Amino acid sequence: MMKPQGIAFRLASLTLLVSTIILAIIVGYNYSVSRKIIVALAEDRGTLLAKSTAKKISTAFMTVQKVIDSVAFSLEDDRLTEKRVNELGQRVLINNPEIFGSAIAFEPFSFQHDNQYYAPYHYRLDGGPIVFARLGSDDYQYFYMDWYQLPRELERPIWTEPYFDKGGGYELMTTYTVPFYRNRDGQKVLQGVVTADISISWVQKLISSLSSREAEYVFLLSRYGTFIAHPNANLVMNETVFTAAESLEYPQLREVGRRMVAGETGVVELNDLPMTGDSFLYFSPLPDQHWSVGFVCSKKEMLAEVSRLNREVATLGGLGFVALALLITFLAKRITHPLRELTVSANDMASGNLEARLPEATTKDEVGELTHSFQAMRESIKNYIENLTETTAAKERIESELRIAHDIQMGILPKLFPAFPEHREFDIYASIEPAKEVGGDLYDFFFVDENNFCFLVGDVSGKGVPAAFFMAVTKTLLKVVAESRLEPGEILAKVNDDLAEDNKSCMFVTLFLAIIDIRTGVVRYASAGHNPPLLLPKNKDAEWIPPLNELVAGIMEGTQYTTKSMTMHPGDTLFIYTDGVTEAMDKMNNLYSEDQLMVVTNQCLGKSAEQLVDSVDKSLKKFTGGAEQSDDITMLAMQYLGKGSKQEGDDRWI
Amino acid sequence: MDIVCDKRAGGTLLQVNGRMDAVYAPAFEKECLLVIDGGEIKVVVDLTGLEYISSAGLRSILVSAKKAKVKGCSIQFCGVSGMVEEVFKISGLFTLFSIVPTVEEAFAA
Repeated sequence: MMKPQGIAFRLASLTLLVSTIILAIIVGYNYSVSRKIIVALAEDRGTLLAKSTAKKISTAFMTVQKVIDSVAFSLEDDRLTEKRVNELGQRVLINNPEIFGSAIAFEPFSFQHDNQYYAPYHYRLDGGPIVFARLGSDDYQYFYMDWYQLPRELERPIWTEPYFDKGGGYELMTTYTVPFYRNRDGQKVLQGVVTADISISWVQKLISSLSSREAEYVFLLSRYGTFIAHPNANLVMNETVFTAAESLEYPQLREVGRRMVAGETGVVELNDLPMTGDSFLYFSPLPDQHWSVGFVCSKKEMLAEVSRLNREVATLGGLGFVALALLITFLAKRITHPLRELTVSANDMASGNLEARLPEATTKDEVGELTHSFQAMRESIKNYIENLTETTAAKERIESELRIAHDIQMGILPKLFPAFPEHREFDIYASIEPAKEVGGDLYDFFFVDENNFCFLVGDVSGKGVPAAFFMAVTKTLLKVVAESRLEPGEILAKVNDDLAEDNKSCMFVTLFLAIIDIRTGVVRYASAGHNPPLLLPKNKDAEWIPPLNELVAGIMEGTQYTTKSMTMHPGDTLFIYTDGVTEAMDKMNNLYSEDQLMVVTNQCLGKSAEQLVDSVDKSLKKFTGGAEQSDDITMLAMQYLGKGSKQEGDDRWI
Repeated sequence: MDIVCDKRAGGTLLQVNGRMDAVYAPAFEKECLLVIDGGEIKVVVDLTGLEYISSAGLRSILVSAKKAKVKGCSIQFCGVSGMVEEVFKISGLFTLFSIVPTVEEAFAA
């Protein structure tokens, strides 16, 4: 099956549509041209036929005319006896079967001086035997009849209008009538007329014998347009072409009638004519009679050949169309077959089966190229997916390792709070939040001896795995060194020397380390380039611990660090943090800043270490508003409560 | 961050603008090491346009300075102000490096 939207279907239907249009144009053109040719030929031929028909009729009439003319000539002889005259009339009929009757009518009293009427008339009784009658009586004064009067007055032979003879023949007829004269005292004196009656039925027979097969019918019009002959007998002698035009409501017929009566030759196209439908009418005059022959041809008959030819052309075209349709369908299917196969394979591939069989590229056309491209694409995709699978696996492995590393790193930091519930002298709380899985920040706290408690915060340069390694090393070193009871400055100097040794990558760490004597509140501290911590004295505004501006640890061996000292009073809190706090950024890259930190910590007067860290953390989260964390954030709060101040502390802080 | 490298008669001036954090610091390090490895004997780093420097940025500067020292190239910093100055001071680098106020003074020295 061809899909309605498929290329094969569209190609086939488009081609067939165009060929149908072309075929229709050819058939139409052929029809119109051949029709024109046929019509032109028919016009010539029809006109010729009309003329020749007219001529044949004329010739028949001419024979009659000649006979009668010669009889008239004979009658100019004075010596003619009555018998001779009668013989003459009889002989005319015997010799000329077309003549229905013949009269030789004399002027009153001219043939026999005692007889007013002398007009011997021979005619055929019912078309059979020739009978003789004498015309003329008081009831039928022949010299008043048209056939007598007209030639007499016009002094020349005439054909009468067709009339119904009541004198002798009792027939519808037309009469050829010739005047004859005799010499009287040197003068030509009219003696009478000699006539030949032609039966109209004979004319009709003549016409029907002349009708060619091309003509539907032939008709005759008299000089006044009366139908003399017409296949419709009701019209004959009853109607004129003009009354017919009236009753048929066919005005064009009147115009044609006028031209025919006027003796013109021509052809007109008459559409929707009764009996014949669309027709051509050829007409030609009979000059002697002033009649006109009309020759009607049905267009349908005439164009029957053209229609047949056209049908044949259309049939041939139709067969050609079917052949073309089959061929195109076959070709289109053949061309699109690999495409459809490819579509099936592509769908298969799209659903994930990259091993789907691709059709063989057997042709070198566009479809073949497409198949090759598809094969190449499949290989690429397979390779890509392989790579992607490997990469993803590697990435997942690294991520998993990083998660483990994170757990390990967090595991080496003290996480249990309260850390020293048995020591009422101080309260310590710390939090760390790496920007990545692992970070470079660190904090730690531990007793170096019974009364001296060490706590510290550090920040390794950079982030991620390198920083994490450096952080772990630093944390371990610090613990080991601090437990050897050195002063904070000495601890930092020792750790610095160890870190700086062979530190090609120039990683460094900032450190703030303090040791408090929990009995007295005396704090000794040192800083290796660490940002200054905040001291929150009880009931007073927070203040920065003045920076010593000493070098970060790990850069330069032999760096010395100063140990400073201060005393914390019960209720004082020391807040140590990394620059991840003050340099936390919102989405517009604005920094959290020391000022804001100061404001927030000032609002936390009288709160516990944990509450302080939580407050700053909340303030930070609010500030960053979900912006990606750019650096590790570490905070440590150490609140000194004083020796044996358990009850007091509980009263104050809780 | 963008770095403008200007080779002058007395040495090479590197103007650093924008932010030098973990993302952009390696670019500075690369550019600086390229100049030093090229045999330059004096490098002046102008930090006037530097808005922010992170610890990773500091490390890059330290790496460059260390390399310069090895190669016998003098490295000077100028235009250190604001937040950058603060960081330099706190981290103790102010005392470690040769820092002058302006580019002109750096090249005059």
